[in-house]
Amino acid sequence: MEKKVLVIGAGPAGLSATRELVNMDVDVILVEREACLGGTPKKLNYSLLFPELRPASEVIDPLIKVAKESPRVKKYVNSIIDSVKESEDGFEVSIKDKEQKVSTERVSAIIAASGFEHFDSRRKYEYGYGLIPNIYQISDIERMLSENKLVTTRGVPPKRVAILLCVGSRDATVGNTYCSRVCCAVSIKQAMEIKERVPDAIVHIYYMDIRTYGLMEDKLYWRSQLEHRVGYIRGRISEFMRGPNDTVIIKGEDTMNLNRALVVPYDMVILANGMELGLGSAQVAKVLGLRLEEHGFIKPLDPDRLPVVSQRKGVFLAGALTGPKTMSDSITEGQAAAMKAYEYVTKGIWEYEEIKVTAH
Amino acid sequence: MFELATVKLSLPEDPRYLDMSYAEQGPLPEEMRNLDQLSEKDRKLALEFYQSLASDFRYNEYLRGCLNCGVCTSSCPAAKFYDFGPREMIQYMMRGEYDKIYEFTNEKVWACVQCYTCSMRCPFNNEIAGLIMLLREYAVKFGLESAKQILAPYRRILLTVLTTGNQVTPDMIQPETFADWGPQALEESKNMDVYRKAIPVDLMQRTDIGWHASLQTAVELMTIMIEAGVIESLKNIDKDLYDMIIDIYEERKQFLEEIKEKYQKGELNEEELPDSWLDL
Ligand code: SF4
Ligand code: SF4
Ligand code: SF4
Repeated sequence: MEKKVLVIGAGPAGLSATRELVNMDVDVILVEREACLGGTPKKLNYSLLFPELRPASEVIDPLIKVAKESPRVKKYVNSIIDSVKESEDGFEVSIKDKEQKVSTERVSAIIAASGFEHFDSRRKYEYGYGLIPNIYQISDIERMLSENKLVTTRGVPPKRVAILLCVGSRDATVGNTYCSRVCCAVSIKQAMEIKERVPDAIVHIYYMDIRTYGLMEDKLYWRSQLEHRVGYIRGRISEFMRGPNDTVIIKGEDTMNLNRALVVPYDMVILANGMELGLGSAQVAKVLGLRLEEHGFIKPLDPDRLPVVSQRKGVFLAGALTGPKTMSDSITEGQAAAMKAYEYVTKGIWEYEEIKVTAH
Repeated sequence: MFELATVKLSLPEDPRYLDMSYAEQGPLPEEMRNLDQLSEKDRKLALEFYQSLASDFRYNEYLRGCLNCGVCTSSCPAAKFYDFGPREMIQYMMRGEYDKIYEFTNEKVWACVQCYTCSMRCPFNNEIAGLIMLLREYAVKFGLESAKQILAPYRRILLTVLTTGNQVTPDMIQPETFADWGPQALEESKNMDVYRKAIPVDLMQRTDIGWHASLQTAVELMTIMIEAGVIESLKNIDKDLYDMIIDIYEERKQFLEEIKEKYQKGELNEEELPDSWLDL
């Protein structure tokens, strides 16, 4: 079949869409901004995946393999979409690489799967991330865990660890009033990993609500207490200070006890930074002419009935660019978007007409 | 012991009475702690206080919601030293617990130093410090006994603020009086005159007064305070101070009128001008 589909982004969603399209004998143009395939999980070197605690590579590597080996997939790495023009049977896309070299491809449909970016905790300046030693983000800890280098600046494994949830999420002061959905689970998973490596470490999680929704509740929240004695303290930390010997002193309120302030030192503090659309996907949205929803993510045509269909005819969406997602959600959406794109390129099915999107 | 058959099944609206035994035994001792301890008279006042507070448009603008996160209380310098925390207040407000709000207003609300850290950091964007100001404003408006007591030592400051617009003067910043500033107070006090000279406003380039209000400015300032109802509210808590301020106001106003009149008639000599520059 001579119809081609452009997939933007080679993370879990994009790779999963690619695999489905290849299975259905559709040619794929895969464009990735980074040098390697695999998206954020590969770039930041994710360690274990929640809730089953299996290595991330076990999930992502087979997807990468398909994209790498299939003759139907034409890959552009280190490249971004420069412009998209509508042509008579689809789109004319110019792809620009790092050396500013522009290539042109003609495709029948587009799947945007350019994903999210982690919230940059430097924007919560009172937390001193990047200024005070031994404050990390969950996205930094993943790499430290998978490279087996979980040590403080003093070169020893941490004995007292605090994890602060909801950094950059559920916070109007940084403009993000949504919940990032995965950071509770990731943090608890990291707490268990830390306890496994440093069994005598004290790990405290500072939370407002624990959102290990669905089937993750007992596998993470309960298990972390049953098997690992992770401590949960209800309160959001308001600021960090640098303590002696490169310790970090936290200031919080133990909200289970009225007006009881906590000022406690730790060897290592981990900020559970959330998800944002990020500049990469914002650029993709701009080039494709897609509108954003109120939280700054890309707005699907109908978030309930057509979550993987965009506002623009022939453009489909998959993964965290429409809102925070787990890796398995993204893979599912990649499969769904591939299905929708296949319907569209083979049968011309586009449901725009029958959908009335109610304005809020 | 009572006969089951004799229990009347007329239940009040209160959902707690869905548990029928509740009607029989009343609140349990551990519940009593949470019920209000106010006298009949106080309860009436507390309700009235809450109702007028809640009907202030600022109240509903400032109070948005609460994640119960404790960021406000843990950021709060006053909470470090007193049994006080802004989260406690916000929670009472969110639940409409008027008795607790009343108690909080009487006992705790004066601990706040209005630094606004809580407002700046609250992830729900509550205007917490504004709500505290509102509670204080209404405490004064209602002439609450606690407000009278707490404000009594501040009469002198109130008088200078309301008549000259000055609270502290720059030369008051000395290491002894501002010990909590640490070495900064020394640094500031040594170079205060240089710092003040750098301010590009003539009237502020001195250290013995924060800024010098001319006669006309002082009268305008007090007129604004009167029109805004600030001085009027003082009446409820300190009638003497109120009378004193009004006297000063009347006197100044009259003096200003006289000068203006003379000026218009062209009878004003330079020497008759008050020491400050007059913008006629
Ligand atoms: S998933 Fe948990 S940590 Fe992340 S934003 Fe939601 S509540 Fe906060
Ligand atoms: S404004 Fe008042 S309540 Fe808020 S942090 Fe400052 S002292 Fe505390
Ligand atoms: S900071 Fe805001 S949301 Fe958090 S406890 Fe205080 S009032 Fe509630």
